[in-house]
Amino acid sequence: MGRMKKLLDQSLRPLVIYAFTVLVISIPVYFLIIDVIWENELDKHHYAIREKLEKRLTRLSLPDTAVDNMINVLDKVQPGFSFNPTTTPRPDSLYTIIRFDSFMHDREQFRCLTTDIRVNHKLYRVLIETNMEEVDETILAIGGVTAFFIMLLLAGFIYLNRKTALRIWQPFYDTLAGLRTFRLETGKAVPLPASDVTEFTDLNASLDTLMQGSLASYRQQKEFTENASHELQTPLAIVKSRLDMLLQSQSLDAGQMRIVEQVYQAINRVSRINKNLLLLARIEHSQFEEKEPIALDETLSAIAEQFSDRFENNALHYTENIGPFTVEANPVLTEILLTNLLVNAVRYTPEDGEIRVHLDGGVLTISNTGAGALQTENLFRRFAQASDEHAGSGLGLAIAREICDRCGWRICYDFTQGMHRFSVRF
Amino acid sequence: MKILIIEDEPGLAESIGAYLTAQDYLCEYAGTWAQAREKVELYRYDCILLDLMLPGGDGMDILETLKKQGQQDGVIIISAKGDYETKIRGLHAGADDYLAKPFHLPELAARIYSVIRRRSFGNHNDVVQNELKVDLLSKTITVHGEVVVLTKKELDLLLFFIGNKNRVIAKSALAEHLSGDIADMFDNHDFVYAHVKNLKKKLTEAGYGNYLKTIYGTGYKWEG
Repeated sequence: MGRMKKLLDQSLRPLVIYAFTVLVISIPVYFLIIDVIWENELDKHHYAIREKLEKRLTRLSLPDTAVDNMINVLDKVQPGFSFNPTTTPRPDSLYTIIRFDSFMHDREQFRCLTTDIRVNHKLYRVLIETNMEEVDETILAIGGVTAFFIMLLLAGFIYLNRKTALRIWQPFYDTLAGLRTFRLETGKAVPLPASDVTEFTDLNASLDTLMQGSLASYRQQKEFTENASHELQTPLAIVKSRLDMLLQSQSLDAGQMRIVEQVYQAINRVSRINKNLLLLARIEHSQFEEKEPIALDETLSAIAEQFSDRFENNALHYTENIGPFTVEANPVLTEILLTNLLVNAVRYTPEDGEIRVHLDGGVLTISNTGAGALQTENLFRRFAQASDEHAGSGLGLAIAREICDRCGWRICYDFTQGMHRFSVRF
Repeated sequence: MKILIIEDEPGLAESIGAYLTAQDYLCEYAGTWAQAREKVELYRYDCILLDLMLPGGDGMDILETLKKQGQQDGVIIISAKGDYETKIRGLHAGADDYLAKPFHLPELAARIYSVIRRRSFGNHNDVVQNELKVDLLSKTITVHGEVVVLTKKELDLLLFFIGNKNRVIAKSALAEHLSGDIADMFDNHDFVYAHVKNLKKKLTEAGYGNYLKTIYGTGYKWEG
């Protein structure tokens, strides 16, 4: 996809190109028409002069010498006329020439008529010429006027486009702005502005159907997760209690006891996944809305205390550097977030490794020894990290991120100096 | 001691009943809201195990009725609803405890034991077992009259064992009991071993007999 273009500019461009082409073509057409009219008119005028000249001279009934004298005078005095006596009649000739005019001191264009007149049976060759505008000047003038109109048209187009098109398309932009605010998680369709234009009404109706459909399937998916998890709780409880009963049997040997223990582990893992799925569904359902001030430092220390057994058992070196900080948040979510991050650290730190917890000025950093950087893109996705080796639920970090998103906190991960580092900015 | 098990899932009710009967409790069952309502109105129990989602109604109503009538029966809610709000609501309504499904039977037994002890014995709340005496109120343990100092976790463990006398308890049940909220986040329960070992050592040193048995390294049994 190349550079994005705006809809309004799209509709304007062909219009502008078309108008420009038409006006450019009009320049020679105007010129030709003006030229033809101009020459036609001059030719008619020249013939009229010729007729008048011939008739008036004949009517005077002067002797031949007087006629010669008069024509001589006319030839010298009358501008645009020249007379020559001739013997053989020749056809008329109409033409245009450009030549230097000594009177105007410039190149000038003339329309000429060469014809014969007969006075007292004597033949004269007459040249009548009229100064007309030069071709280049005419074209220049037409070009100028056309350019002016092109500018006027363009300005008009742009102005009208902005004014009218913007008004016409306004409902579309309103719809677009409405759609941008649409979030599945809110569970509500965005109200789209009403319009009296059929297309926009149709568009909005279709979009509304689409949104309702998405919302319905989103709701169904969430409900499904929640219901499925709920339904699983009871059979899980039965299996767990049956195992507890099985353990009471006197006849179990060491191997069978081990099997029971393994089944316990698998059941615990299923319960864990199930519990976390339910938790995610509840977070998404906004079931943790109440907020209260929480002394993060105290909460954190209390939670870390619960892990002391784990630190000891896995020979982990735990250090904390916790400064006082209070945050306005939901206590349940905050506890779950802190617990999940610590669980994550404990679970993935090798024996004899190190865990550091640092809270300072609203930034919590939990770092732990690790072999290499993790893939950041998948890290916070559901079930992206679950591995048999560590048997996590694969949801711990997804929940952590969901909580951060809900509370407007920022969680990020990086790997420096052999330590995984998760930090949350409150 | 009489226990009423209000639970609509027969499989679960049966397991609970079997486990508790072996603990010398007398168990009765109610599988529907109407049955539960009837039993609760007619008879008194030392402890009622109450499932919230019942065919025919909400278990919470039964709890509220009990409390309105001023009945002294201990109530432990056992529910698939493990969320914080329901828990708080249940405890506010007067339940003595709340246990989310799925749970270990020894955990349930320990809670029942604790609820019944708390309700029935008031200020003289001593448990005597062989040479061992536990004052539940002051949390002091004496063996042959001599005080044994236990950590909080060790005391917890001891009470758990006493509440599950002569039963085999899985390591994961102990782990869950000891580490509360974070218990089910880990699969490795080796830390239980360290606590049991320490408890056993302290009691043995004080002169208590070898009543705490390890079963094939994966389970424990308190013989009394």
